[in-house]
Amino acid sequence: MSSGDLLALVAQGKESAMDRCIKEYAPLVWSIVRRYVHNPSSAEDVVQETFTDLWKSAKRYDPKIATHTTFVGLLARRRAIDFTRKEGRRPQLEPMPESDSLNLACDGPSALMKCEREDVRQALTKLPEETREIFTLHFDQGMTHPEIVEQTGLPLGTVKTRLRRGLIELRNQLRPANSPQNPQTND
Amino acid sequence: MTDQDLISRFEELDAGRILGDLDAAEMDEWEKLARDPRCQSDISLELTAAALEAEFQDTGLELPQGLLEELEKGTADFVVQGTADLAEEKIIRLPIWRRIFADKETGWAIAAIFLILFVAQFMVKESTPSPEDARMVLVDEAGDLIRSSFGGVGDYKGMTGEVVWSDARQEGYMSLANLPVNDPKKNQYQLWIVDPERDEKPVDGGVFDISSKDGTTIIRIRNPLVVKEPKLFVITLEQPGGVVVSKQEVVVAATG
Repeated sequence: MSSGDLLALVAQGKESAMDRCIKEYAPLVWSIVRRYVHNPSSAEDVVQETFTDLWKSAKRYDPKIATHTTFVGLLARRRAIDFTRKEGRRPQLEPMPESDSLNLACDGPSALMKCEREDVRQALTKLPEETREIFTLHFDQGMTHPEIVEQTGLPLGTVKTRLRRGLIELRNQLRPANSPQNPQTND
Repeated sequence: MTDQDLISRFEELDAGRILGDLDAAEMDEWEKLARDPRCQSDISLELTAAALEAEFQDTGLELPQGLLEELEKGTADFVVQGTADLAEEKIIRLPIWRRIFADKETGWAIAAIFLILFVAQFMVKESTPSPEDARMVLVDEAGDLIRSSFGGVGDYKGMTGEVVWSDARQEGYMSLANLPVNDPKKNQYQLWIVDPERDEKPVDGGVFDISSKDGTTIIRIRNPLVVKEPKLFVITLEQPGGVVVSKQEVVVAATG
């Protein structure tokens, strides 16, 4: 059974599929949530909420848009960031879209992505070394911007710009070559 | 600015939004540009960030003991909820329910379920300590307990209160008396924790309501961010739901 099928079974309310889903994705969800939520007890609550979200949103999963891992990662990330915004008052005023809007937000060819792990790894190798370094500090080591500034000695503005432009560049790399949004197609 | 410049700028700000690093001026700019029909945000940047999170997954990170079991236990609830959703969508299930309700034993079974749920409700309540009890446990057990008294400010001079806090447990409570009852639809009290070791900006300690003017209300401090060495606790009155950064227009009380 593929993971796409697994999510389809989850969408139908199959208990065994939900159990399998938990076993398969709990480590990923926990890893993402812990990067944002430092209080272990709160992090466990956020993991619970992520799986509730997954249960409710599974029927909106579209394998053409993203891999199952990215889909679960997106739900975990949203939940974790929402938590830090609501409870930690992160300086961010615009709420992330609710998961219920996931299928609507996914609509449209611009969202089409190739995000198998191999694709992501390949795309990362095409980024400049300094961007990869900052991605590692931020996404792998979970460092905040001020911590990256302290570690690298770079100005905060440079850290922000490299992360933002790196994310855009990576997204462009992950878009299929025939996507109308892919800059390479337009060359 | 050309259309392309405008779109590029919006895209960069949108990436900042996804990464959560926009400052206030950039957020204003993003909000303005987001209303421009030439600038359209889609989910692709957020999916990219999620794919990166997955790529950099810390596979050595161990799940806390019991989390997997808790999630698996919770599966039953998910399935019950899911079944209800399906029932709404699939009318085909109705005849089955008709047959069940036609059965003489069904009434007794439903009564038994309600009885179990009734008892379970009290068991769950009993297993969650009240803020009063949790505060007493903290005071008795925490070796690093900090105690500070609140003093009312301006119109709130008559209030009295105390905060107890443990760095090691990352847990604390406020005991508050003589604070006016607030209408949560109009405003809410919000606690701020000043921890210079952590950040020069105060950390949010959660919003709360005072529902009775009599007696002392115990409020649990909700600090999702780790507080290392709190120096000051400040209560402000804010809009419902609290604010990201307080303008401190209505400072109610402070310790120290």
